[in-house]
Amino acid sequence: MRFRFCGDLDCPDWVLAEISTLAKISSVKLKLICVQVLKDVLGDGIDYDRILKLTSDAKFESGDVKATVAVLTFILSSAAKYNVDSESLSSELQQLGLPKEHATGLCRSYEEKQGLLQESLRKCSLRLNCLDSVSWRVDYTLSSSELRQVHEPVVHLKLNVRDVDRKLTEPVAMTLSTEKFRVLLAELKQAQAIMKTLE
Amino acid sequence: MDPNSGFAQHAQLWTCTVHATYPSVRLLTEFLHKVIDGLCGHAFPRYPDYSTIWNLTEWMEVLEQTASYFRRTVGKDLSDEEAVSPLTELNSDTQRAVLTCLKGRRPDIRHALIEKTNAICSTQLLNFDWQLKLALSSDKLSMLQMPLLNLDLDLSNSGDVKLVSVEMNKEELQTLISSLEAANKVVLQLK
Repeated sequence: MRFRFCGDLDCPDWVLAEISTLAKISSVKLKLICVQVLKDVLGDGIDYDRILKLTSDAKFESGDVKATVAVLTFILSSAAKYNVDSESLSSELQQLGLPKEHATGLCRSYEEKQGLLQESLRKCSLRLNCLDSVSWRVDYTLSSSELRQVHEPVVHLKLNVRDVDRKLTEPVAMTLSTEKFRVLLAELKQAQAIMKTLE
Repeated sequence: MDPNSGFAQHAQLWTCTVHATYPSVRLLTEFLHKVIDGLCGHAFPRYPDYSTIWNLTEWMEVLEQTASYFRRTVGKDLSDEEAVSPLTELNSDTQRAVLTCLKGRRPDIRHALIEKTNAICSTQLLNFDWQLKLALSSDKLSMLQMPLLNLDLDLSNSGDVKLVSVEMNKEELQTLISSLEAANKVVLQLK
């Protein structure tokens, strides 16, 4: 069988296997664990002690706790990745054997955070590098060894470029003649105009 | 020694050499324009075209002296009177040719010298290229639809060319454009 939350593919065996683990926890506690997992996926950090507390009734071993977190992370982020609405997700999870109450609770948490989840996934999609900040300075050259009377402005530009993978910010500094500077600005505006038409 | 005397000497030599058989002023004018083209970043005149007039040593010197005469005259903002003084050894036709050439090309030479002045810095932007892409999908999100601008900058650091590539989304591009516009406002006030 194919599932929308798996990108119209078969559900991975390990996910299938761990659905029964989820069923061992009460639906209320499952929903509370979902809140923690969502926090983790959104980059706000996860409270493991709280998860251990929530799973203590079900007499989970540490492997089961890890599996619970892993399978919830998969379901929530994969559903957001393929833009599955909460109703479809709920019915697909029930087809996989998750009790209705559990599925409804999970999907309610998902529905609340679907937009945020997708925004966060968009943000952590592969980027080669990104522009962190820009600083500039305009100088007015009065004279030089080449030319006695210059009287021309020059623009200094420093781009702080962040390497996303290495989390390193590297400054790129350069000097531009006013002509080149104007061409650069005009072309970037042109690119921006085209970018706006894409929306 | 006055660095221009070499030029005068060789120009004279040159005019003497060709005067009998060639329309020397026209050829001289052409040569001078080519030297200025060279100063402005285009091609300098080539030796084979002038090998009947000068030997290689003379050629090197006459080229260097001619270039340095124009550079100095414009760089030091010399008046026409001052500009003619290193040329006194030349005949009046030749002097006129040099001055006409200087008059016509002064803005070009000045522009080239401004470029040279601007190049007195640690890193200079030589060229740039951009590319606008629409990222459709990723391993994180199947419907990404995110426009990205790639800006490639060719930076010259005392002769070494380094390529830097920056990838920007809509917000980052806006940040860059806002900064550049703020700088542009200042530049426009100075003009």
